[in-house]
Amino acid sequence: MIIIVAFVVAFYTITQATKNETRLLTRNMGFNVRIIPGETDMNQFWMGGYSNLTMSQDIVDKLIDERSINYAHLTATLHKRIVWKDKEVILTGISKEEKEPSGKTKSKMIFAIPKDKVYLGYELANIFGIKEGDKVEFFDKVFEVEKTLSETGSEDDIRVYFDLETLQIMVQMEGRVNEVMALNCMCSTEGGDPLGELRAELNRIVPDAKVIMNATIANAREDQRKMTDKYFAFLFPIILIICAIWLASVAMTNVKERTHEIGIMKALGFTSWKISKLFFLRAFVIGLLGAILGFILGSFLSYYLGPKIFNLTVVSVKPLYHLLYWAIFIGPLFAAITSLIPVLWAVNQDSAQLLKEQ
Amino acid sequence: MIEVKNIVKKFNSAKEKVIALDHINLIVKKSEFVLIKGESGSGKSTLLFIMGGMLNPTSGKMIVNNKDLFSLSEVERSKYRANEIGFVFQSYHLLPYLNVLENIMLPNQLPEIHIQKEDVYKIADELGIADRLYHKPSQLSAGEKQRVALARALITKPSIILADEPTGNLDEKNTIEVLNYLRSFQKNGGTVVMVTHGNLADTYATRTIQLDKGKLQKS
Repeated sequence: MIIIVAFVVAFYTITQATKNETRLLTRNMGFNVRIIPGETDMNQFWMGGYSNLTMSQDIVDKLIDERSINYAHLTATLHKRIVWKDKEVILTGISKEEKEPSGKTKSKMIFAIPKDKVYLGYELANIFGIKEGDKVEFFDKVFEVEKTLSETGSEDDIRVYFDLETLQIMVQMEGRVNEVMALNCMCSTEGGDPLGELRAELNRIVPDAKVIMNATIANAREDQRKMTDKYFAFLFPIILIICAIWLASVAMTNVKERTHEIGIMKALGFTSWKISKLFFLRAFVIGLLGAILGFILGSFLSYYLGPKIFNLTVVSVKPLYHLLYWAIFIGPLFAAITSLIPVLWAVNQDSAQLLKEQ
Repeated sequence: MIEVKNIVKKFNSAKEKVIALDHINLIVKKSEFVLIKGESGSGKSTLLFIMGGMLNPTSGKMIVNNKDLFSLSEVERSKYRANEIGFVFQSYHLLPYLNVLENIMLPNQLPEIHIQKEDVYKIADELGIADRLYHKPSQLSAGEKQRVALARALITKPSIILADEPTGNLDEKNTIEVLNYLRSFQKNGGTVVMVTHGNLADTYATRTIQLDKGKLQKS
């Protein structure tokens, strides 16, 4: 019982950890939705890397108010291209928090920058020999370089990151943003056109904005997630069925082996009802203990084996306490039910026959 | 008094129909020590199990204290076994995961049985197993196991002991000890019906009956 519960718990915990890991990995592929001002000239947008128009930062609150939308990590940004030390650089302000439509603050996909500090792109740090802790000046304001970023091979290497509010004040664009970045899974929808549906939805909520989706990232996310889901959706029922058969056969064998004991009890004057009650109670207690110990063992195994065998990060493997509640409910019940047939068979035999079978 | 009336027991196997007991009639009076002897397969144990209500006969009646045993309900028959019968088997039939004390007190789980620990200590002392009460059956010798089985049978103060080759696995010394306990039980007013192969018990019995191929030869 312990081994069976441990096996199911370990498998399910590792499954969930793998899904979580996949979600994190695909999330780290970056934002795939960009919400920009509706009037943006797309030619300019793609050439410049961001919209030269701005929109009110309130758009984030509007999206949050609309809880039906499947965005996550809503991050307001403001970009401005300037010349700094004779080099063209992009200043980017990033909102402190990333939100999801429920209004809940999400863990940051990108960094949060303190007010008087900046993050410097790789190329800028390299050209000017700037190190972390150095002071740099923008718009007559001195900032400490909190971090110099590693090379990305993109325009981010010539970017200077600020706290959004700080940049808005510096460039006199309080409350304005060029873009809201978000993460959307581009999950398949009934209509089969998730982007179209997303655009229609957005148009209804914020008609003065438009949405661009990086289909490559979104598709990769969806494909990866679907693959993981399919894989475990296929395996999990098989594992469950195998374990159920295993458990049933163990329970039946256990009772069969104890027919001798049932024979003794009948010889001593125990009634069939009394014997059945004792066996069911015993099966129930064994099931309960097995469920609890199996949960502990399964959680330990997944924590121990998950990172070693499946290359999961330790933080992804967490005990799933709802499995304990299920195990406590199903374990004893299943143990009692599986002992039902052999117990009923045994108590209805002549005790002489049961004793002879030893 | 036990009255076996025209008992027939047939076993049906795939190959053949075996008549284990063929119209057996027998009366065992209170305070008798009856030996049932016969070859292997003569029906001795079958008769003993039927007398204890552990095996249903194909036909016939078992009257115990004016009650037809097999017309009783399962609950009533269980009560009869619990209150009136003490079984002793050749292979002891102790529960291996219980210690000696727990094995002897096993019938205490029945509502009609109330065993006091003092009684267990007393009977264990009489049977010479007082120092073995907290041992598991696997730690006991064959003679000790059989004395534990005897203690379990006697602790409920039954009126009848049904013993199925209780000395079959014992050496002579232990056989004599077990027979002495059974005789002591009989001398105190109990009835003993014992199935055996050997002759050591002959002098202890008040009567010996012989079974041959399911038929009673001598009573």
